[in-house]
Amino acid sequence: MENKLIEIKNAYYFYDPEEEGKEPEPALKNVSLDIYEGEFVAVLGHNGSGKSTLAKLCNAVFEPARGTVTVDGIPSDSEENGDLIRRKVGMVFQNPDNQIVATIVEDDVAFGPENLGVDPAEIRKRVDSALKSVNMYEYRERQPHNLSGGQKQRVAIAGVIAMQTKCIVLDEPTAMLDPMGRDEVMDTIHKLNKEMGITVVLITHFMDEAVKADRVVIMDKGEIITTGTPREVFSKVDFLREHKLDVPQSTELCNALGIKGCVLDTDECVEVLGRILGGAV
Amino acid sequence: MVKDITFGQYYASKSVLHRLDPRIKLVLCLLMIVFLFVCRSFPALALMVVFTLVAVGFSSVHVKMIAKSIKPVAVILIFTAILNIFYTKGKYENGDSLVFTVLGRFEVWDKGLYTALFTMLRIISLVIISSLLTYTTTPTMLTDGLEKLLSPLKKLHIRVDTLAMMMTLALRFIPTLIEETDRIISAQKSRGADLDSGGLVKRAKALIPVFIPLMVSAFRRAYELAFAMTCRCYTGGDGRTRMKQMKIAPRDIICLVICLLVCGGVIALNIFFKKVI
Amino acid sequence: MSKAIEITNLTHKYTQSGAQEVVAVSDVNLSIEKGESIGIIGHTGSGKSTLISHFNGLLKPTSGDVVVDGTNIWADKETLRNARFKVGLCFQYPEYQLFEETVYKDIAFGPKNMKLSPEEIDERVLRAAEFTGISKSMLEKSPFELSGGEKRRAAIAGVIAMNPEVIVLDEPAAGLDPAGRKSLIDMIKAYRDSTGSTVIMVTHNMEDIARIAERLIVINRGKIALDGTVDEVFSRSDDLVQWGLKVPEITEVFTRLHNMGCNVPRGVYTVDEGVKILSRVMRGGAGLG
Repeated sequence: MENKLIEIKNAYYFYDPEEEGKEPEPALKNVSLDIYEGEFVAVLGHNGSGKSTLAKLCNAVFEPARGTVTVDGIPSDSEENGDLIRRKVGMVFQNPDNQIVATIVEDDVAFGPENLGVDPAEIRKRVDSALKSVNMYEYRERQPHNLSGGQKQRVAIAGVIAMQTKCIVLDEPTAMLDPMGRDEVMDTIHKLNKEMGITVVLITHFMDEAVKADRVVIMDKGEIITTGTPREVFSKVDFLREHKLDVPQSTELCNALGIKGCVLDTDECVEVLGRILGGAV
Repeated sequence: MVKDITFGQYYASKSVLHRLDPRIKLVLCLLMIVFLFVCRSFPALALMVVFTLVAVGFSSVHVKMIAKSIKPVAVILIFTAILNIFYTKGKYENGDSLVFTVLGRFEVWDKGLYTALFTMLRIISLVIISSLLTYTTTPTMLTDGLEKLLSPLKKLHIRVDTLAMMMTLALRFIPTLIEETDRIISAQKSRGADLDSGGLVKRAKALIPVFIPLMVSAFRRAYELAFAMTCRCYTGGDGRTRMKQMKIAPRDIICLVICLLVCGGVIALNIFFKKVI
Repeated sequence: MSKAIEITNLTHKYTQSGAQEVVAVSDVNLSIEKGESIGIIGHTGSGKSTLISHFNGLLKPTSGDVVVDGTNIWADKETLRNARFKVGLCFQYPEYQLFEETVYKDIAFGPKNMKLSPEEIDERVLRAAEFTGISKSMLEKSPFELSGGEKRRAAIAGVIAMNPEVIVLDEPAAGLDPAGRKSLIDMIKAYRDSTGSTVIMVTHNMEDIARIAERLIVINRGKIALDGTVDEVFSRSDDLVQWGLKVPEITEVFTRLHNMGCNVPRGVYTVDEGVKILSRVMRGGAGLG
């Protein structure tokens, strides 16, 4: 976790064009963030907080208006560099339907490596192993529109794995999924990070998805307002509420009861309360 | 519902027809369709019909799927049959033709009946052959095949690869947009929209609440898709490789020979037997 | 008094591409009283969407009857049309149905189809806008200028404006952030409290449903697997997991504590309730850690 993979320094981003002398409302305001190799970072914020814009800086599809973004030593200041950066940072979006290109699952996974000009035999190998690592190998010859939302998202993830990027940025990948689909996708993302060592940047508004991250970044109004381990961040229940965020029910319960320390999930909550109430743990 | 459209659907299987090289399949499909129109005599057409049925047999596509593909052209079939039965008059060159019956102002000649039967068989075979192509070839293979076949056009500075990509995307999004249309129709019907009654103008107007959301959504999808493609390093096709390489196998040659033999047979049977059309 | 919706022996089959016959809903019997607040839960593909599409006659049953407010909706064209207005159906991601030039006109689409007088339409639009928190200035905007959450509200207003006796909402909060989700559920709650209409909500989110529903219907494989009060349904968490569902997190905590022998009840569905109970128990028993 020593090497900085993505380095964002004092970045500003505007959607509206600048008018005479008057600066439009920035989507990102003086954002600085370093992401280290192998890290799992969750970026939280309500809709319109700037978190998706931040995601798009990470793979250079957006260039900052001011400030710099450097990925693996490459500054994102030209189109050519942008192409190079996108070979290192892959991206998965919210709507699974709008990112699948091909009519057959395996062809879609092959799309990225094909664009990179990888040798056909090597693509075949990468596609098979990527599909296996997201547990979709049996579905390789299916048509995407017949898959469930969770399955489609896993195909999209496989498409990035097959490009062998160092980092994967996921922009609210579970927002349109049912609970089962969410679990499938979250398990896959964790596996990617733990077993394959891929750096993960997860943009989400589900708190429970951020609980297992190495680091949590909270955004509001285009600024990073706090960062820290999940335990540090989730202990500030009132602070999060102020910024239109929620905490897991277990955390909320223990916080309301005035229990010291921060409880992150049901297991911890049951353990702590069980001890207090004197149940047979 | 709109969902019933079968065109462009792939039927997964590992049959001989599925494994044929898409380029060969495309060319042969075109060749056989041309030869359906070369047929002039019943024996020649019979040969083509037998060929078509054998091809269906080798495709392992369910008979019900084949029947389903004919359904949409049923109206055209009936229409052409009626036209031919009532309006084809006159004698064959050797003179042996007769009037079957007279229905009021209409005379039914045997030539009309034959022509009707002939045309119907021709259209049915045509539909079956072309749907066999889409049933047994994945859209990706189809567009890849087409791209390869059209690649000589690159010399004329036509971006064949871009065209092929556009086709792939269109095929990919047809089912998605059909589903979306059904969803929007349901939503507007739930707000009391009346889509099935009234005259032509009223009906066309009633479609506005369906058409506008569909367009909005199609553009949003296109925008997001373009973005996603950029993120996956698509830069317009230069330097792209392909996972699936096409190679002509012995079975492709065998198929080619069989088809050429059938074509030869058609020509021969045309010469030796009485022309119907 | 007649029931809001009464369904007897409803079966719905359709043929999928190819030739397979799929039974999406199989022999369902369901009776919904006026003024009830119902949650329909079931995993994706359980048949719940097919089921609710029968409530207002969007889908015709293969067999069985759908009776809305005492009349069989498939009796004739008129009863079918009335069913559309009596049962307001709001689909998942309803913002994708917006099409008019202004939000006002879009909300007025339903009432217009009902052939109401202009005054009546105006009154209904304004009332629906008030319920859903659409401001006067927003009404004059194009629906495509609104934010995601506002679009969602405008679309729901379009259904409310028909003044339906029953409102059916399919995943009304899908894709919203926590704040948006909470305020939308609050809005539906307030709507129900002030109008007394029957509210049927379909969702995967057990936390949301626990806040709003009194009765839960669990659909699994096209059949009603369970139909009962919130207590009855959530007490069977093992079965729910088998059907691809969960109980609210807070309920899981209390169930586990209860099973460990702690002096707490099992049926706790909201955090507020949980806090109340626990602070009482903790004050009476052991001190805080």
